[in-house]
Amino acid sequence: MIYTIASTKLGIIGDPFIADDGINVAALLSGGFIVEQSTPKPKKPAKTNTETNEEI
Amino acid sequence: MATSTYLSNPVVTVNAVDLTDQCSASTLTRVIEALESTSFGKTARVYVGGLENSTLTLTMYNSFAASETFATLSGLVGTSTTVTIKPTSAATSATNPISTLTGCYLETLPIVNAALGALDTIDITFTGGVYSVATS
Repeated sequence: MIYTIASTKLGIIGDPFIADDGINVAALLSGGFIVEQSTPKPKKPAKTNTETNEEI
Repeated sequence: MATSTYLSNPVVTVNAVDLTDQCSASTLTRVIEALESTSFGKTARVYVGGLENSTLTLTMYNSFAASETFATLSGLVGTSTTVTIKPTSAATSATNPISTLTGCYLETLPIVNAALGALDTIDITFTGGVYSVATS
């Protein structure tokens, strides 16, 4: 999971947050200090029309 | 010659959050539990070192504002975390070492300590964890 800093109490807002050993990430999330960074979904392949109009 | 240190600007972090501006007192005590090993024939009690059980006590101003005391501590009660304290805000060095308790436990959190005409302050104690000190 990738997290982004959301409070100046933790660092520079927008920077990625890498938790050191022993850091309680759940508490930081619930306190609003970090947010989960949404990972871009892979693009769906373009739809191609495979339908054939050939009449049997 | 004895020396005294007047600490006006220590840096305190709790769970990586800088709470320096909400903290007015701190006491970090390194404790190695004493296990008695006195045996017959001894004329004085003798001890050996047991498990480490250090503590960090902080006096905090209680603030319910975003990213402040309550937001930092409320999710830590009953869990383990990491706390650090450094004598001054200057760069970490041999004369400004940073002490860390990794995996220390927060058992209790006073929610409100209200008195008429006084700021809401709370004392919290982190117990246990592994003590380490870094000079760079």
